[in-house]
Amino acid sequence: MDEQFNFKKQYRNILLIVMAACLLVLLAAILISRPGASRIWANVLLNNQFFMGLSLGAAFFLAVHRVALSGWHTVLQRLPEAMTTFLPIAFILMLLIYFGMHHLYSWTNNDVTDKVMEGKKAWLNVPFFFIRLVIYFTGWIVLTRMMRKNSSALMTSSDIKYHNRRKLFAGLFLVFYAITVSSSSWDWIMSLDAHWYSTIFGWYVLIGMFVTSLAFITLLIWLLKRLGYLKYIRPDHIHDMAILLFCFSIFWTYQWFAQYELIWYGHLPEETSYYITRLKDFKVLFFVNLGINFIVPFFGLITVNSKRQLGWVAFIAAIVLIGHWIDYWLMIMPAAGGDKAGIGVLEICMTIVYACVFIFIVLRSLSTGPLVVKNDPFLEESLNYES
Amino acid sequence: MRNRNYISIFFDDEVPLLQAVRKLRESNEIITDVLSPFPVHGLDEALSIKRSRIPVVGFIFGAIGAILAFGFQAWVFTVSYPLIIGGKPFFAAPAFIPITLEVTVLFAGLSMVAAMLIRSKLKPDIRFVPVDKRITDDRFVILVEAADAKTTLMRVKSVLSGIQTIEIR
Repeated sequence: MDEQFNFKKQYRNILLIVMAACLLVLLAAILISRPGASRIWANVLLNNQFFMGLSLGAAFFLAVHRVALSGWHTVLQRLPEAMTTFLPIAFILMLLIYFGMHHLYSWTNNDVTDKVMEGKKAWLNVPFFFIRLVIYFTGWIVLTRMMRKNSSALMTSSDIKYHNRRKLFAGLFLVFYAITVSSSSWDWIMSLDAHWYSTIFGWYVLIGMFVTSLAFITLLIWLLKRLGYLKYIRPDHIHDMAILLFCFSIFWTYQWFAQYELIWYGHLPEETSYYITRLKDFKVLFFVNLGINFIVPFFGLITVNSKRQLGWVAFIAAIVLIGHWIDYWLMIMPAAGGDKAGIGVLEICMTIVYACVFIFIVLRSLSTGPLVVKNDPFLEESLNYES
Repeated sequence: MRNRNYISIFFDDEVPLLQAVRKLRESNEIITDVLSPFPVHGLDEALSIKRSRIPVVGFIFGAIGAILAFGFQAWVFTVSYPLIIGGKPFFAAPAFIPITLEVTVLFAGLSMVAAMLIRSKLKPDIRFVPVDKRITDDRFVILVEAADAKTTLMRVKSVLSGIQTIEIR
């Protein structure tokens, strides 16, 4: 039970080499093709949002399971915990947006003739934007850190108070996250189209984050099992991960459709503008998004046997992860990059660079402690779990 | 003791129940039935009961419901009784989706209930006398087939000696 992940030099080197290579290609692509500042900044925002979403979704996963006193996830809880360690870096990266604000957010450019923006000024102004940003990240980082700290305290001590404290912080995180995930998605994504609004947008983003992090946890299990760790994670645990991935993919589609249909039905110009730009210029991606994120997990994971094969679930999870990257792309790029936006070398390389940093941090954090929280009161239940 | 062809073993928890089921099957006793107040996880595997095919019924009827609902709306609004609603085209697919979803769920749900009732031969006016009234509350019971009640009782008792049972009779 004291099994510890050994983050070998070889793994580090692979990640660093891939990252360096992609960074070089990225720089070359920027210098050669000169994509324009707004496209580069939009990419930064897209990847910030995607990888921050992975961390936050993982924290949400932990918090929900702890508040619900779930037993089954106990053996794999160190994986989402490790994923939340990316948040401080996401904070720094998000602060970088300050330098690209004028390229991304048209509301930062003072335009007195715009009556709509005058009305939204109380919320959408640069100082308040950054005050909110700091509040969100402080809350997320502090609360996830407290959850992690009490969890690692359980590795050495068997005092039940750490377990209870962890639960308390999970509850606080859920309340804080439920509010901030909505308002942060208004700030960072919805305000790209400052005239447009959608009241379901925050929940839509939340479920997207949760699905991506479920997919990533599954992939992480697959990777660690390939490397010979996590012997005690059995098909029963995979089954539950797959059930969550399956049903939250459906729920994501529900949110997607709820937003689409109400806007389509209401037919108000300030709302339909969002879908008109996306359907006019990016019709293929628009439907690919729906297909990858709904049809693939729905039919791929519908039978019991498919939910219990780790290799297959990881394959579907990888597709869903790409699908949700496309989903974020469709939220951000058409608004920030205009109709010239596309998926090219720039997008792919920058995502790989971010992914390498993210995986590096997750694996490094995993290697700092045993893979199982030894004194967790639910550990025995989780090891003997049958789904 | 009345001459019966089964032995009943009583438990007050699901964990010893599962252990007992495994042990009894290892020692080749024939379990006629297991009664429990709620579904016990892992019991189906322990009894090696084949997976229920009810989800297949649900899927097939759900698909039929989806096609039927979507097709019907498409037919009504394009062929049978076209209406202009809010300036939308006659074939307004997004507007059909909620109803399609509801009918899919309705078909899947009702078909699964019906399939379950038919397969388990449940109909109104079925009389069932429970072995012990508490199996509807907090008792778990294993029924073991016994050609000769006395010898089976002895055998079962020795097999389950290490397991916490309430009563064996």
